[in-house]
Amino acid sequence: MIQIKDLLEVLPLLIIAFSAIFILLLEVSIKKSETVIFGFSLIAILAAIATSFNYFNKEMIIFNQFLRISNASLTFSVIILISMLITVIASKSYIEKENVNFGEYYSMLLFALMGMMLMIFANDILIIFIGLELMSVCFYVLAGFLRLRQKSNESALKYFLLGAFMTGFILYGIALIYGITGTTNLTLIFSDAKVLTNYVFIIGTALLIIGFMFKIGVFPFHMWIPDVYDGAPTVVSGMLSTAGKIAAVGTILPIILAVNILNFKIIFSVAAVATMLYGNVIALAQTNIKRLLAYSSIASAGYIFVGVASMNEFALRGIAYYLIAYTFMQLGAFIIVAMLEKKDDGSRDYKNVDLDFYKGLGKRNPVIATFMTFFLFSLAGIPPFAGFWGKYYLFFAAIKSNQIWLAVVAILLSLIGVYYYLKIIVYMWFSESLEPVSEEKFSFSDTGFAATVLAVIGTILFGVDPNLFFSLFKFVTP
Amino acid sequence: MSTESLIVFFIAGVVMVGGGIIVSELVAPTSKNAVKDETYECGIPTKGESWVQFKVGYYLFAILFLIFDVETIFMVPWAVVMGELGLVAFIEILIFLIIVSLGLLYAWQKGALKWD
Repeated sequence: MIQIKDLLEVLPLLIIAFSAIFILLLEVSIKKSETVIFGFSLIAILAAIATSFNYFNKEMIIFNQFLRISNASLTFSVIILISMLITVIASKSYIEKENVNFGEYYSMLLFALMGMMLMIFANDILIIFIGLELMSVCFYVLAGFLRLRQKSNESALKYFLLGAFMTGFILYGIALIYGITGTTNLTLIFSDAKVLTNYVFIIGTALLIIGFMFKIGVFPFHMWIPDVYDGAPTVVSGMLSTAGKIAAVGTILPIILAVNILNFKIIFSVAAVATMLYGNVIALAQTNIKRLLAYSSIASAGYIFVGVASMNEFALRGIAYYLIAYTFMQLGAFIIVAMLEKKDDGSRDYKNVDLDFYKGLGKRNPVIATFMTFFLFSLAGIPPFAGFWGKYYLFFAAIKSNQIWLAVVAILLSLIGVYYYLKIIVYMWFSESLEPVSEEKFSFSDTGFAATVLAVIGTILFGVDPNLFFSLFKFVTP
Repeated sequence: MSTESLIVFFIAGVVMVGGGIIVSELVAPTSKNAVKDETYECGIPTKGESWVQFKVGYYLFAILFLIFDVETIFMVPWAVVMGELGLVAFIEILIFLIIVSLGLLYAWQKGALKWD
């Protein structure tokens, strides 16, 4: 029986769920309600972040053991909320520019957010599945939200077909796990040590992990990422590559750590190396900045899997730190691309997303070019930006688990990444603009600018003071 | 359940499905002619292409039907144990019904129920 007390303990989830429904009603009951809805969703996300901090250091299992609130899940959910906050702020001016200023957009974002949080708080495989589907369906719609632009439709269809296929893997994994243990409750599954060595259980877990590797974009299951991120509305691409990835990592990581099958360690290491190699090398040849950022997000999935492969107590810390740094820098870079993109003119492709367009940006638009430089330095892992500490704690976890070779390979491969990030910076500051450059007049009242400033603050703040993160999310400081 | 039975189950599944197809291929009488290769359409000769446009309204009605479908699936098990759970269960199902009907309300306001 559900108690009223339980409802109070998942307040962030409830706030997001009810505001998502409420937005739909606002949309149909008030004319021209987009601005109201924008403000309302901002308040809802801020309220969810504020209430989340009440639950730290209070481990609890609620709702008939369906949900589990722990420091790790709260950390991931707060990172997702921050990512969504920046996305919502940036979206307003972007969807106005693209002529799709509908209230449903915000509702979709909030429903996806609810699915992601449900997935992370889940203590039952079926709840994970429900959350995952809620998230994925909203993502398919958001990827195709520019319904008059063919490229956006193509991206949504590709994402949907592959995503639906991978859902099959996850379901089959769940079925095998249920077949062996007779329960879907994670606490009960992990409490039985005998089950954990059963090979059907291992196959089931492997299938489950494969499904999530697809969502994260790890090497053999990465092929959808460039096409989807390229075609989706740019702000949505940024959201998919941050929030979507964090949700998948935050869900599967506790399962991997609890199952602790040591044979998986070498598989994860190989997957991590292959992902970093693939993402970084293919990104070298890209001429479209959205595709470049997509490949760089594949490489980032590789760095995250360096942490996953270490499977020790440092892994969670490193991954959480990298993810918050990644949220600010990747989302910030995508938002800048979105701001510079040309207004919708009914064409099939996005305009002004070629690397050539970025030549001489430093002279035309010094503020934006400076911000972009910050994000790219951070993605390359150069101190004093947050990306440096993210990589530092990840590789530290790998070294602590006696996988020094993995850390060395990861550092070498991230050096390849430095090349293509620096290439854009050189284009922006040391190249002349190609004539003629057709650029929208950029204004500082653009909400995208406010979102970028937030991302810059985050990138620098977490880069200058890494202990801030650990005290904020109640980690035991090293 | 042991893993052996799972293997037996798997093999039996393959044999039953595959065996059926193979046996019917071997045993069943066949007569090949041009009419048999055509697409089946209620026995009437086919005409036109299969890629035709049809009204999006059908989809909307199908999706709206889904709301009531899901509602019924949830209400049947609730109705079975309603007597034991009492008032709390009644309030819970009311909350559920309100949330589900909000979906209908949204579609209604958006004009999904108009057929033109």
